Amino acid sequence: MAASTRSVVLSLYKKILRESKNFSSYNFRMYALRRTRDGFRANKDVTDPAKIQELIKQAEDSLQVIKRQVVIGHLYSTDKLVIEKDTQS
Amino acid sequence: MATMLRGIRAICGVASSQVSVLNATATRACATGICSKKFFLPLDTHQRHNFSSFSAVTKSTQKRMLLQCVRSYADLPELTIKQIKERVLLVLNLYDKINPEKLNLEAHFMNDLGLDSLDQVEIVMAMEDEFGFEIPDSDAEKLMKPQDICDYIADRQDVYE
Repeated sequence: MAASTRSVVLSLYKKILRESKNFSSYNFRMYALRRTRDGFRANKDVTDPAKIQELIKQAEDSLQVIKRQVVIGHLYSTDKLVIEKDTQS
Repeated sequence: MATMLRGIRAICGVASSQVSVLNATATRACATGICSKKFFLPLDTHQRHNFSSFSAVTKSTQKRMLLQCVRSYADLPELTIKQIKERVLLVLNLYDKINPEKLNLEAHFMNDLGLDSLDQVEIVMAMEDEFGFEIPDSDAEKLMKPQDICDYIADRQDVYE
């Protein structure tokens, strides 16, 4: 993988994780974090440049979706779940 | 100095006359902003004098108002190299993919601890959260050992021995 692609992917990974942490709903937040980690690891051995570009595009689209959904989630946020009350008071 | 004191007394006079209406919050804040510890004593006696003419003011209100006169500043305690090391190692110990037994300051994340570059990104993110500042990607990719992270943070936060 070219050095530039590598840094693009790593920075995308970081951006998506950062944005996912902003979900107000516990379920969405945990799903987004888990899905991001699994998704990037599942494709870590891809070498075909065209496929890599396609996956990068997909990740960028997902980042936009996450950003939008975080905002919408804040508009309709509910009380914290019982399980998160201990850790995030 | 004398004129300043007079000014403060004037403000306190206003403050004490409004206490009876239970609306002193705004004026109290304004008085707090101006008084420093230096002026505490003269203010103290003066306020007591003023309050004595208001029977509606209770002792506890009086006490609260006097306490408010001490100015306080918010700042983090200074970091030391030792503290940085402890906090870095604590964060790394809590990261579930790192074996705490193998962890030491000179352990390489990829060669010794068996992590990949995605894990390294997550470690850098955890450090950003722990120390409260952002680490740019160009610097982040050079941080491969706990010792590198300690040095980098000490560098950025102006901590030195």
